[in-house]
Amino acid sequence: MRLREIPTDGIPYDRLCVEKIPAAPEYIPRDPELVPASNRSVVINPNRICMPIGAMWAVLGIHRAIPFVQGAQGCTTYARYTFCRIFKEPATIATASFHEDAAVFGGRKNVVEGIRNLVVRYWPEVIGVVTTCSSEIMGDDMVSFLKEARARLSREIGKEKVEEISVVLINTPSFAGSHVEGYDRASRAFLESLATTRDVPSERVNIIPGMLYPGDIREIKHLLREMGVGGTILFDISDTLDAPLNPPQEIPYYPPGGTPVSGIRQMANARATFALQPHAGGSGARYLERKFGIPAFIGPVPIGVAATDAFLQNLSRITGREIPASLRDERGRLVDAMADTLHHTMMKRVAIFGDPDVVIGMTRFACELGMTPVAVSSGTPSRTFEGEIESIFREYRELFLAEPRVFNGGDLFEFEEYLKTLPRLDLILGHSKGVDISRELEVPLVRVGFPIYDRFGYQKKPVVGYHGAELLLYEIVNELLDYRYPDDRTQQL
Amino acid sequence: MLDAEKLLSDRWRHVVTKGDGTAVLPECGRPTVPGLVSERACAFYGARWMLAAIPDVIHLVHGPAGCAYFGSIVRRKSYRVFSTQLEERDIVFGAGEKLYRAVLEAVATDPGARAVLVYATCSAGLIGDDLDGICKRAARAVGRPVVPVNSPGFCGYSQAAGHDIAAGVLLEHFIGTGKAQEPIANGVNLLGEFDVMGDLREIERLLQQLGLRILCAFSGKAATTAMADAHRARLNIVHCRRTGQRLADAMQERFGTPQLKVSFFGFEETASALRSIGKFFGSAGVEEIVERGRREVEGAAPFLKKLAGKRVALFFGASRMGTMARAFAELGMEVVMIGSQFGCLEDYRDAGARVRAGTVLIDDPPEKELEEFIRKHMPHLFVGGTKEKYLATKLGVPFLVFPQETSCFAGFRGFVNLAREVAGLVGAPVWRLAGRLPEI
Repeated sequence: MRLREIPTDGIPYDRLCVEKIPAAPEYIPRDPELVPASNRSVVINPNRICMPIGAMWAVLGIHRAIPFVQGAQGCTTYARYTFCRIFKEPATIATASFHEDAAVFGGRKNVVEGIRNLVVRYWPEVIGVVTTCSSEIMGDDMVSFLKEARARLSREIGKEKVEEISVVLINTPSFAGSHVEGYDRASRAFLESLATTRDVPSERVNIIPGMLYPGDIREIKHLLREMGVGGTILFDISDTLDAPLNPPQEIPYYPPGGTPVSGIRQMANARATFALQPHAGGSGARYLERKFGIPAFIGPVPIGVAATDAFLQNLSRITGREIPASLRDERGRLVDAMADTLHHTMMKRVAIFGDPDVVIGMTRFACELGMTPVAVSSGTPSRTFEGEIESIFREYRELFLAEPRVFNGGDLFEFEEYLKTLPRLDLILGHSKGVDISRELEVPLVRVGFPIYDRFGYQKKPVVGYHGAELLLYEIVNELLDYRYPDDRTQQL
Repeated sequence: MLDAEKLLSDRWRHVVTKGDGTAVLPECGRPTVPGLVSERACAFYGARWMLAAIPDVIHLVHGPAGCAYFGSIVRRKSYRVFSTQLEERDIVFGAGEKLYRAVLEAVATDPGARAVLVYATCSAGLIGDDLDGICKRAARAVGRPVVPVNSPGFCGYSQAAGHDIAAGVLLEHFIGTGKAQEPIANGVNLLGEFDVMGDLREIERLLQQLGLRILCAFSGKAATTAMADAHRARLNIVHCRRTGQRLADAMQERFGTPQLKVSFFGFEETASALRSIGKFFGSAGVEEIVERGRREVEGAAPFLKKLAGKRVALFFGASRMGTMARAFAELGMEVVMIGSQFGCLEDYRDAGARVRAGTVLIDDPPEKELEEFIRKHMPHLFVGGTKEKYLATKLGVPFLVFPQETSCFAGFRGFVNLAREVAGLVGAPVWRLAGRLPEI
C-alpha cells in the first residue's frame, strides 16, 4: 500500500488518518450496463474453478488413492500446480493423456491402458476416476470402459489383486457446476460405491468436512477428541496434504494418512453424518440418510462462535456426550479476544467473497465481530445462498446502516466494480484471487477460503472451531491496525 | 500372467545412459503413455505460456470456468482474464454467438486493447464452433484484430504443440505488421525469452554494452506495437530454441532476418553468445565486456567451493538441457541426470554431448521415474518445475525451481545469483536436520 507522508507530531491520536494514493488514478468508470455479470456473455476474472479439481482434492484425502483424470494432460497439470502451490506438497494425479486420436475415437483406449499402467506402477488401493469436459462431451461410456480395464488387469496380474483395488467413478463435466460441486459429487460417489451395507451399527460419527484445509481438519479432530467422540473423516487431507519430511521413504511415495477404504465402508454404520459444508459434501450425507436412515446434519460450517456452538450441540445431542469444560474455556478465550478488540472491529465495513459455505460462515463471524458486511459474493451460484445470507442479515440487522449487497454467482470484475462505488471499505475477506482488488482499492485483504497460493501457513492454520476463529480474529485485527495506523510509532492496542 | 518387466516395457527406450563412446539418445517426441503421472501439460497451457505476457491485448479463453481460472496464473503473474465460461446449454446448442458477444463486451470493458486473442480449449474444440469465422466477424465489429488461438488441450502430445500454435499466431497476425520497412541498425529481437525474474533486464544490459537495442522479446517484452516493428531487426537471437526456433525460421524466410542460437546461462555460454553477436555486428570491445563479466563472475567463487563435486539432476522443458548442463558444470557440479518433458532428438544430442559418461538421459519422465531416480542416486540437488519440487524435498533432496522463483540467472550477474542460490540450497541446515546427506 502506498501512503502519503503521515504527520505524527502535534496531531492527536484520534485525528490521525491515512491518506491513500489511488492505485489507478486513470480509472474510467465502466459502462454500467456491462458491470453486472448477468448482463454479459463474457466472464472477467472468474471466481470459481471447474468440477474435476474438487473431485481430485477429495480423492487425495483417501489412503493410498490416486485420482485418474480422463482428459487431456492440462487437466491434471493445472490441478497439480494448484495443489502444489496451496499445500506445498506433491500431488500424485494420473492422466489419461488425451491426444487427437482420443478426441476423434473416444477415450476407451486411454482408460483401459491408463488404469492398467497406473496399477502396475503404483499399486494404489483406490483409484478415483475423474471425468472432464472432453470425455463428457465425447460421451465416453465410462462404466463399460472401466469393466474392460478390470478385465484386462485380471488377465495380466490376476483376479485377486484386482479385487483389492477399489475403482470409483466420479462424473465431473467441467462445463457444469464448480470445484465445490466436484467435491460434492465425489462424496456421493465414494459413499455410494463403498458404503453399501449397514451391518454392526457403531457409535462413531461421520464428518464430511468439505473443501477445508489440513489445519481445519486437525481442528475438527481436536473438537471430536475433546468431546470423546470417535469420528471418521471422509477425505481426510490433514496428513496426505500436510505430510512430515521424514526421508527416506518407499517408492512410490504415498503420503501418510488419509481415510482408509475400510473406514469409508464403515460409514454406513455410523451414528450420524455431519456434512460441514452443504455445497461440498451435503449429497454424501443425504445419500447415507436416504439409504440407511443415518441422521444427517448438513452445515453450517463451524466458523465463528454460533456455528461452532451449533456443531458441538448437535454432536452432543446425537452422542449423548457433554460439551467438556476444556471446550467451554476455548470458547471463553475466543469471546474474550473478541471483547478485547471490539473497538477495532466494530462497524468496520467488510466485503466477503469465495465459495458459498465459507462465505456464509465468514459473514456470520464478521457480524459476530460487530462488523458490517457491505458486499458478499459466492463464486458458485447456489439456490440456498441468498436465503442463508439474508437470515444472517436479519439476525444482525441493527449493525447495518445500509442494505448489504449479495452476489450469488458472478465474477470478480463485477464484485470489484461494485466495491469501487462504495463510499468506504475497511477490509476484504477472501482468497488469493482478491489480491488485485485489494491493491486496486487499497483495502487490506485477509486471506481465507480456497485457494490461497500466495502466502505460507494458511493451509495449516485453522479457521474453524473456537481456536480457528481466534486465529482469524488476530489476523483481522492486525490487518486493520496495520492499515489504519501504518506508522509503528502510533500503534497500540 | 506377465512379469513385471514386460508390464513396464512401454518406457524403456526413453531412458538411456551415456556410454563412454558414442552417445545413445532416448526415444522422444512420442505421445505420453496413458495412466502415468505425466509432468507434461496441454496445448492450451503451452499457448498461454507463450502469449500470456503480451500486455496490450485481451486474453479471452473460450472454454469452461476452470481453463480460464487456471489460465489466469501464468509465469507467477496474475492477469485479467476474460472467458466465455461455457456451460451445459452452450455445449448442447453451440457457443458461437456467445463468443461473438463476449468479444464485443470484452472490448467495451477494455477499450484500450489493441487486439483480442481467443483461446480455444478442449470443449470449444469438440463442440465444433466455427472459431475462425466468428473471430473474423467480431474483428469487423470491433475494428481491431480478433485472433483465434486454436489450442484445444488435446492437440499434440504436450504443451509444445501450444508453443507452435502460439508462434503461428504471432507470425500470422502480429510480427512485421508495421508500415515502416527500413531496418534499425542496432535492433535485435530475442526469441524464446520470457523475462523470468529479471533475466531479460540482465540480457538487455549486456546487449546495450554492445550498442544493441532489443526491439522485441517473445514474449517477455512483446507489446503489439513492438511486434509490429520486429521485422526491422538486423538479427534474431534465439534463446530458448523450443519456443523461438520456429519464429526465427519463419522470420528468416519472410523478412530475411538472420538468426543466432545462443544461451545466456553460465559464464562460457554468455561469453560465446556475446562474441558471436559482436562478430555479427562487427562490434568492438566484446573482449572487454567478457573480461568485465569474468571479474563479475568471480563473485561466485566462495559459493563454488561448497559445490565442487556435488551431484545434480536436471529436468527442463526441452532445449535448455545442454546449455544448463554446461552452466552447472561451471559451478563444479557433476550432472548425473538430464531430462526433459518434450525435448527433440537435437536437444538430447546437444545435451548428451555436454555431459560425462554415465549420465542418465531421460525423455518425458513421469513422476514415479523421477522418484525412483532420486531414491536410487540421491543427488545433492534436483532442478525442475514446481510440480516436482515437493516430491524431491519430501525425499530429502534440495530442489531448485527452474524457471527460477527468486533472482535472475541469465548473464554474468545471473551466474553469480545461480551459484549463490544453489550453494544456499545444497548446504542448507534443513537437510541435515531432515536426517539425510551425512556426507555434507
